Amino acid sequence: MTGNELGNGKKEFHPAMNEETNHPLNIVIVGTAGQGVITLKRFIEYVAMEEGYKCIYGSEMHGLAQREGAISSHCRLQREVSSNTRENMHSPTICHGDADIVIGLEPVEVLRNAGLLCSEKTVFAINSRDIPPIMVTAGKQSYPSLDEIQEILERYSGGEHDRIYFLNATKIALEQLDDAQKMNMIMLGFTLAVTGLSFSMDACNKVATRELKDSKMNEKAIELGLQSGKNLKHA
Amino acid sequence: MPDSRFTPSEPPGTEHLFLGNEALVRGCLECGVGFIAQYPGTPTSDIGETYRRVLQEQPRLRDYITHLWSANEAVATSSCAGAAWAGFNALNPMKHVGMNVASDALSVIALNGPNPGGLVCVVGADPGSLGSHQEQNERFYAWMLHMPMIEPASPQECKDWIKVAFLLSRTRDIPVYFRMTTRIAHSRSKVTLGKFTLPERKMGRFERNPAKFCSLPPYAIDNHIRLYHRIERISREIPSLELNKIVPGDATTGIITSGVPFGYTIEALHQLERDDIPVLKLGMTYPLHEKEIVEFLHDLDSVIIVEELEPFLEVDVARIAQAYGLQVEMHGSDIFPKHGEFNIGLVTTCLARVLGEEPSQRIARARELHDGYKAIIPSRFPTFCPGCPERAMLMEIKKATGNLTDPPTIIAGDIGCYVMGIMPPLKVSDFIICMSGGLSAAIGMSKKVSEKIIALIGDSTLMHTGLPVLADAVANDANVLLVVFDNRWVAMTGHQPPAGKGKLSIKALCNAMGVTWLKVVDPFNVDETIGAIGKALTMDGLKVIICQRECALMASRVMDRERRELQSQDKQYGRRSYQIYNCVMCEKCSELLSCPAIRRTVDEFDNPVMKIDEDRCTGCGVCAQVCPHGRIKTTIIHPHLDAQLKIRRIEQEYDRK
Ligand code: SF4
Ligand code: SF4
Repeated sequence: MTGNELGNGKKEFHPAMNEETNHPLNIVIVGTAGQGVITLKRFIEYVAMEEGYKCIYGSEMHGLAQREGAISSHCRLQREVSSNTRENMHSPTICHGDADIVIGLEPVEVLRNAGLLCSEKTVFAINSRDIPPIMVTAGKQSYPSLDEIQEILERYSGGEHDRIYFLNATKIALEQLDDAQKMNMIMLGFTLAVTGLSFSMDACNKVATRELKDSKMNEKAIELGLQSGKNLKHA
Repeated sequence: MPDSRFTPSEPPGTEHLFLGNEALVRGCLECGVGFIAQYPGTPTSDIGETYRRVLQEQPRLRDYITHLWSANEAVATSSCAGAAWAGFNALNPMKHVGMNVASDALSVIALNGPNPGGLVCVVGADPGSLGSHQEQNERFYAWMLHMPMIEPASPQECKDWIKVAFLLSRTRDIPVYFRMTTRIAHSRSKVTLGKFTLPERKMGRFERNPAKFCSLPPYAIDNHIRLYHRIERISREIPSLELNKIVPGDATTGIITSGVPFGYTIEALHQLERDDIPVLKLGMTYPLHEKEIVEFLHDLDSVIIVEELEPFLEVDVARIAQAYGLQVEMHGSDIFPKHGEFNIGLVTTCLARVLGEEPSQRIARARELHDGYKAIIPSRFPTFCPGCPERAMLMEIKKATGNLTDPPTIIAGDIGCYVMGIMPPLKVSDFIICMSGGLSAAIGMSKKVSEKIIALIGDSTLMHTGLPVLADAVANDANVLLVVFDNRWVAMTGHQPPAGKGKLSIKALCNAMGVTWLKVVDPFNVDETIGAIGKALTMDGLKVIICQRECALMASRVMDRERRELQSQDKQYGRRSYQIYNCVMCEKCSELLSCPAIRRTVDEFDNPVMKIDEDRCTGCGVCAQVCPHGRIKTTIIHPHLDAQLKIRRIEQEYDRK
């Protein structure tokens, strides 16, 4: 496969290009139960609605997986509805290799539930705070280091570093907001800074006020993530 | 403020984001549904949840709409029939295995018919076992019970078609099978609202009519014949319902599909650049409109059926093709897996094979890379939450029985959060069947083995189907210790109240059923609980231990809410903290308890140690009683403050000794 060609002769695309091709922008959010994966996904959908995306489709997992299990959700945004049915989104889940952005609230979950959906175009924003599965705590299995995870993810982009970004968002949430639950919104801010997902702060704040209980704290969390991301990019 | 998506004042034509399940509820609010009853079960639990919330936020609606959590699916279905016979549209959601329980009632209700009201059973299938213990293909019930079956493929269709389902049910006197899957139930997209419509009346009336409502001979046969007539009539009317549609194309290969697989198919074809292939999307998958199928197949050389699980459409389409003598090559279960859930990648790859196309290398490469590293991903199966009383109890069972060997002990598992007991490192559950299947099997086994048997059951499973089993165990003098997890919630499905919540004493119930040895324990008192288990196992006959503690997830949510409340008022608060000091790494805490709040890490000298994540610990204190070296200590931070956060303890007065 050459740089710009896919297997069947179709053009490669980058998040920024989705606007022109009207191909859906595919976002995968993964983590573990209780980390706020679904809240974050819905938040992104609401903001996308504010930002004028005509088609919003996605899938979230409830139920059994909510007990400390792995959680993944798919969020697909399309600018326009085409008059040709066949050009529109019909599947709530993303095709293998078709993810544009992966937001990982837990590092190893990126490998587990996003891995199959990634390719050279994928940009990763990952919370570096791990939640060791019980088999790791029990000493029966080991947890890969962040370096290892980074190395694996670089295989997708052929070694390019500017696609994988880590932030210890849980630490920031605990130290600066005294609430680990705000980690997901910090990760949203971080994602905006590092992946090129272009949501305005206005739209974010509007949705926070409308949809979330302690909106002020959430706005602050998004801001903290955004700043951390900007600092990282300029470092 | 009520959620505007469900209010009468929200104008028709507005667009909102809805989950499939929520859209379905909105649809019901647009066609005057007056009654909902269900036993919670993934993926349909949030239909009832949504209703409960809507009725809470808009109390005025409660005059017209009744929502019940039922003890089990058969009760729910018959409750719905009762409301339908009083003239109302009744909604009856259940999970796929719920249909096994409901089918007993439905087999008769289908004969009688729901008129003068309407009855729609929403059945949540679960290809891939995403939220269930198995993935049975329950579609075949539609054949057996002659229930017309509708399968939506998007949240918009969930909303629009539930209205069609009720219309059909009411006008043709037949219960309708509305088939969701986990994927569609939990997918979200924009939905355009229609007009809000309340039931016409607050109260209805029942008119006596034994020939219709008592399906016993001779009426049973008459109603059976009438059922054939009803379903045949519907099969002729299908085109007028506008549920089926064709995405046209001029290729000589065509595809027939339904539900979410339609979405995978259409995107797969686009990727393969085969937009020329015509696709027949069936909204009604039973009965089929034979003429419609014949016309679609007529100009084709071959047809591919895209459906999850056992071939269902394939069998019916093959029957029609044969009956009409059509020479068409047929593919389906020969190229697609007959188990698990589909996705675009899988459908693309399977279709590419029969169509002779090259699938995108991006798909192959994603698989290849993932296969290359997936061995290093540590498994993360669902497990009990931090501070879960059920985990504590299972640990205590293991300790009381010398890890199930002294005395040799067999554990009869059941359905509820405690199914997770089968997973390592706990591994406490030797077999699992279905709701209340554990105690049932234990009765038989206790007569034929000499080992001790401990059966597990939750409070809501006990109320679902457990009571007759308990009566049986007493009557047949089963030599079993029954452990009842009385955690006050149907926890696994998202915390609905169990039948009898707040009114029912499990202790009094057991006594009334003739249980002679019973003990109520707090699983957070480790020694006392182990003592009770040990004592029970020395005795013959049926013994019951009630493990009484609220579900940790719910209790900690309450605590979180209190904390946020205090924070928002800028108030300081005290709390109990657990910490590990000078850990000697005997690893007993993880081996015996494996609380997810305890992690393996290293200290400042790089020595391996165990550490408690303060933000995840609920402060149950069980680990401190498990550490054989006394290294887990508790302190109260800010003990002098008035506001103290701690996990709440709810007990029923009459259950206290
Ligand atoms: S049981 Fe106690 S000493 Fe042993 S590993 Fe756990 S905390 Fe450390
Ligand atoms: S006290 Fe111990 S067992 Fe209980 S939640 Fe905290 S770490 Fe887990």
